[in-house]
This record gives sequence, C-alpha cells and structure tokens, in this order.
Amino acid sequence: MTIEKREENITEELFALYRGYGYQRYKPGRFEEYALYRDNKDFLINKNVITFTDLNGKLMAMRPDITLSLIKHCASLQGQTQKYFYNENVYRPSAGGNNFKEIAQTGVEFAGNISLTDVAELTFIICKTLSVISADYALDISHMAFIEGLFESYAADGQPLTEYLQTKNFHDFIKLAQEKGYSEKFIKAFEFALNFRGNAREYISEAKSICLNGKMLTAVNELAQLLEIAEKCGFGDKINIDFSATANADYYNGFIYNGYIKGIPHRVLSGGRYDKLLQKLGKSGGAIGFALYLGEIERYLIKDERPIDCVIVSDGNDVASALMRAQQVAESGKVVYVSNGNANKP
Amino acid sequence: MIKIALPKGRLGEKVLNLLSKCGYRCDNFDKNSRKLIFSDQSGEINYFWVKPSDVAAYVRLGAADIGVAGKDILEEDGADLYELADLKIGKCSMCVAAPADFKDDTSVPLRVATKFVHTAEKYYGEAGRDIEIIKLNGSIELAPLLKISDVIVDIVETGTTLKENNLQVIDKIFEISARVIANKSACKFKGNAIIEIVEKLVKAVENYD
Repeated sequence: MTIEKREENITEELFALYRGYGYQRYKPGRFEEYALYRDNKDFLINKNVITFTDLNGKLMAMRPDITLSLIKHCASLQGQTQKYFYNENVYRPSAGGNNFKEIAQTGVEFAGNISLTDVAELTFIICKTLSVISADYALDISHMAFIEGLFESYAADGQPLTEYLQTKNFHDFIKLAQEKGYSEKFIKAFEFALNFRGNAREYISEAKSICLNGKMLTAVNELAQLLEIAEKCGFGDKINIDFSATANADYYNGFIYNGYIKGIPHRVLSGGRYDKLLQKLGKSGGAIGFALYLGEIERYLIKDERPIDCVIVSDGNDVASALMRAQQVAESGKVVYVSNGNANKP
Repeated sequence: MIKIALPKGRLGEKVLNLLSKCGYRCDNFDKNSRKLIFSDQSGEINYFWVKPSDVAAYVRLGAADIGVAGKDILEEDGADLYELADLKIGKCSMCVAAPADFKDDTSVPLRVATKFVHTAEKYYGEAGRDIEIIKLNGSIELAPLLKISDVIVDIVETGTTLKENNLQVIDKIFEISARVIANKSACKFKGNAIIEIVEKLVKAVENYD
C-alpha cells in the first residue's frame, strides 16, 4: 500500500501544525552522556544504545531517544509550562530488525502543571498528526491507573499478566487464573480489559461496572471525560479504548497512546504521560508527549521519482548557455537533466 | 479481504479443513499443487502456505492479517502480535533432554544444542546458568551422542526419538499447541471480521474434538 504523500510534505504540515498550537522547536545535540540512558533503560523502546568514549574519556551515546534529552532540559526550567516539538534522527534497532538504524522521528512534549485541557489538546494534536499521514487512522488510548489498579491485588504475577494483556491472550491467562485461584471478579475484569473494543461509549459504561477499586474508577472517569471532549471535537470515532496498550509503570502514570495507519503493519505513533520520569530526575510536575516514527513509514510514502522532461547536452563549448537554458526549464516546473554527452543518459 | 498465513504440512491442512467447515470453503485447493496463494469461494479470504517457522514473520510484516503458529515459534520469534486463541491441536512440549547418565558440571558452561536459541537463552538466563549455544537445524538428538553438547532444548512429541537415542527429558520448559495470531494494526481496521473468523475456528475445533 502507498500513502499519497511525500515525507517532506508531511514534515512541513506537521511543523505548521505544532507551531500553530504554540509549540517551540527543540534541537538536541547528536550525542548525550550514556549515563542518562543507563539510568533510564526501561524508558527506551529498545535497550541497545551505540556508545563511544569522547576526547575527555566520558562515555557518550548516539541518542536512541529524544524524550529523555528534552525532559532533562524541561526539568532544568522547573516551574514553567513548556511545549516543544522536534524532528530528529535517533539511533536504535528498527522494529523487528537486528541492526542499528538511523530513524527519523517527530514528536511533541508538554511539561508543566498538566490539566485535562492539556491532555485533551495533546490528544487532539495526536489525531491531527495521524490525519496528516492518512485519514484512515486509529488511536488506541489506555490508562496506566486502570492497569495498575487491576494488577494491584496480584502484584507478584505482574509479568505474565502484563504479557497476556498486551497480546490479548485470554486462553493462557485463564489457565494461570485456575492454577492461582484468582477471583471471578478479577477474571471478569481482566477479560474485559483485553477484549476488543466495541463502541467506545458503551465500553466506558461497562468499564465502570467492572472496576475493582478506586484507582480503576478514576482512570475510567478520566477516559470518559477525554472521550466526551474528543466526540465534541469530531474525532471521537477514531479513538479505541484498549487497555492492552500498556507501558512501563516505573515511568508512565496516566493516558497511554498508540497510533495506527490503515495498511501499515506496525504502530506508527506512541506516547503517554510520564510524570514519574520527571520525578526520577528529581523534579516535580507533569510531562506528556508522543513520538511519530516517520522513518519507519517512509517506505509506504510515494517517492520523488518524477520523470525527466528534457535533456540538455553540452559539448563543453558554451556551458553557461546550457546552464541558463536548464534553469529556464527547471523554473518552468519541468525536470531537466544536463549531460556532457558522454555520461549515461537517464 | 482477510489474509491468512497457514503453516505448510499436516497442521495447516487440518486448519484449512476446519476453516472450510466454518464456511470459508476453498475448492480450488489442491494438496499436491505447488501454488502458495489461494482464495476461498467468496474471494473474501486469501490463504498463503508458508514455512511453519515463518508464519509469525508474515503476520508481523502485515502480509497476513492472521495466522496459525505453534507456541514454540511464537516464544522464539518474540514478535509483537496478538495471540487470540489456543486451537489445542498440534500438541507437544519444549523440553530439555540429556543422556541418561547426565550430571551437570557447574564449573564449566553448559553446552546446549538447539534450533530454539532464544528459548534456550531465556530458560538458562532465568536459571542463572552460563551456557554455550550450539545452533543446529535438525537431528538435534545427535549432538549429545557425539559429545558436541551436554543437553538439547527441543520439541518432544511422544518421546520415542529421545528413547531410541538413549536420551531423557530432564525438564519441561512449556507446553506447545497451535495458536491463532493476529497483526495488531490489522485488528484496528478489520477487528470485527478477524474476531468472527477466530471465534468460528475455535468453535469448529471444539466440535471436531
């Protein structure tokens, strides 16, 4: 499948979108001290990092992620609300790959005192971002408090439960549930959490009825509020509530986002709220953001393969005339190819 | 249009037969043909025959929306997929086996022959045992007999091959059966159609038993 857009057009539209909402561009350095990634390994999509020793003997890394650098910067401006976007290359293995790749990534980060207004605006910007690529998109939204609340009574079994939830694997879960003697209420709540979405509104009202504690209920109420705003803003039909979308609970604490485009077989966008990362960096306040993996969708975009309209052959006697003629053709919107007569013609 | 990757061989044929019983009939399928792609009568389902160990890759890369793969392949591949059903067919186990007189010498790394490298690394990693992997592609049972490995990690169905080669199971790592897997992105856009097929297939397996 091909998306009828070029990468440069997408980037241009996204920059205009983010600037239009008052987000400022952030450009980090290409390298970062390795310690930042070592201390926050579980925050990274992939734990493999390219490292090298700099001229002062310090262990550095080719950045595998932008968020950590950006949040470190935001943390240094404590107390101010900050809205940033970036468009940078990161260095990590691609999805399903086993070699390092340079991957273009665009993203938005918001740090400060976060309210429902800010979360709703970010969700709106996520939907706008996905719609810049294609109108056929879907956004999965989950909430870490719902998942944490669900697992609270069975903390010791967190690992297999998380795996079963993420893969919507009810058949292995039920075997474990029988073995461990999980309560009927918990089994019902878990089954509900990994079920495919139906109508988001109906799903929300059913979610309220299966909540096992206040934490889960708070999460469902926040989701309901967000969904109501999304419906009023006209993008409610693009949102799926899907609790199988989880993230590392050591860093994430609120909404989780996963974005998909019809015809692209993997997730193209991910994000969420990660106040706990700020806390790990010794700061208070909240942070929320997302990354769009532009580099991983480039193969689905149309390529700049315009046919050549005109070939100008110069034998070397009047190069200036040949170049002036070529300029006229190029400026008229056609594609020109200047040849010395010996080189292979296109 | 739903695209289904089926493992070549007995398991795939059984699943295709079950899908026919669910109403996804495929009269143009010829077991002896070399054709790898074919459709059901409605033209709404496309089937691909692929090597069993490649099913997860085809689904992960979106060539297929759903597929049927053994749990052994899923554990080894570790792909980011949904695992929607256990068909409870093609049952066997992933085991550690060794010669009857095997005694683990913990002063040296354990030599493990297997084609399931990640599975073996994960199992021994969790046990805190240092190992050397000997990657083989078949006749794994030969490795300890020829003293190139101490143990093997492999699929055991009846145990007959192990017995005939004087090997015995020393630990069962996990049970294996055929699972229905799905591409996560495909589920966002064709979720209802995918669920309908999976539910019918699960029901057909139950009735088959």
